[in-house]
This record gives sequence, C-alpha cells and structure tokens, in this order.
Amino acid sequence: MSSHLLVMMLFAAFVSLIFAVLMKDQPAEQVKLGGRLFAGFVGAALVLGWILFPFPR
Amino acid sequence: MTAPAPAPAAEAGGDRNRALAAAALGWVVPGGGHLWLGRRQKGLVFLAAIPLMFAIGLGLGGRLFPFDGGQPLVLLAAFADLGNGLPYLVARIAGLGEGRVVAESFEYGNTFIIVSGLLNMLVALDAYDVALGRR
Repeated sequence: MSSHLLVMMLFAAFVSLIFAVLMKDQPAEQVKLGGRLFAGFVGAALVLGWILFPFPR
Repeated sequence: MTAPAPAPAAEAGGDRNRALAAAALGWVVPGGGHLWLGRRQKGLVFLAAIPLMFAIGLGLGGRLFPFDGGQPLVLLAAFADLGNGLPYLVARIAGLGEGRVVAESFEYGNTFIIVSGLLNMLVALDAYDVALGRR
C-alpha cells in the first residue's frame, strides 16, 4: 500500500471505530461519534499537510 | 433457609477480582473482557478491529520493538506493542515484526502496531470499569 493518504485514512478509520465503540453504547451514537472523529482526523491531517506544504525539508 | 448475604467487604473484593480478570482477559484477547461481561457488540468489534490493525501494521513492514533499556523511546514502544496481547505473542513466536526499515510504509507500520496496542490497553481498562459497574 503506497498511498500515504489511504494509509492515513485507514488508520483514522480504525481509531475512530474503536474510540466510538468504546465511548458510546448505542449504535446510532457510535456511528455519529465515529463519523465526527474520522472527519476530524482526516480534516486535521489535510489542513496540517497543506500548512507544511511550503516547507518540504 | 437461604445463604447469608456476603459481607460488603467480601463482595467488594469479589467484584475487584472479577474486574481484574476482565481486564486481564481483555488484554490477552482483544475484546475478550467485554465478551466475558456480556457486552457482545463491543467485544466483537474489538476482537475484529484490534488484531486487524496489528496485522496491517506488520504487513506495512512495522517492527516489534525490543525491550532495550538503553533506549527509552524504544522501551516505551515495546511496552505499547505488548499491549496487543495474544496477537503480539503469536507474531513474536512466528518471527514476524522484524521491520523493513527501507520500506516507505515502515513508520506507518510502527504507528499501526503501537496504536493498536495502546487502544487494546484502553479497551482492557474499560472492561475493568464495566465489571465494577462504573460504565
């Protein structure tokens, strides 16, 4: 797997899933929290990536 | 004639032993503590997700870090790896986790393995709380 973006999204998906199931008891709440965590992880990574774009080294 | 109710101290001790057993089982078998306590949905998700995350980490070329007291960060990573429980022991016995340092996914692999171990520790602690009725 050579796509850094896909590996990062896979990682975010696993962490979001486990945190959501750990913290919430109802499936609907788990889906809601998991979705928010996943969006937060991926969004933050993309923002940080673009902020660091002018500084390649 | 019914059996006398256990003294509160004995009951508390029993609960604590049960909670420790749930946490230990949850560490050895990811999700095992929750399954044992009847939290089937949570247990099955942890049982599937944590070993899969660990396996993906190995597949990405991640390393199982040695217990090297001379390198504090390596030592911490080794403890985090150990958090994976049985999958970690199986991988160690099978000789996996040598780490492919030249692979571009090496650091990703390490991250998957370390984080899956830390998440399993959280899951085991959650099983402890569930057994005590805190959650």
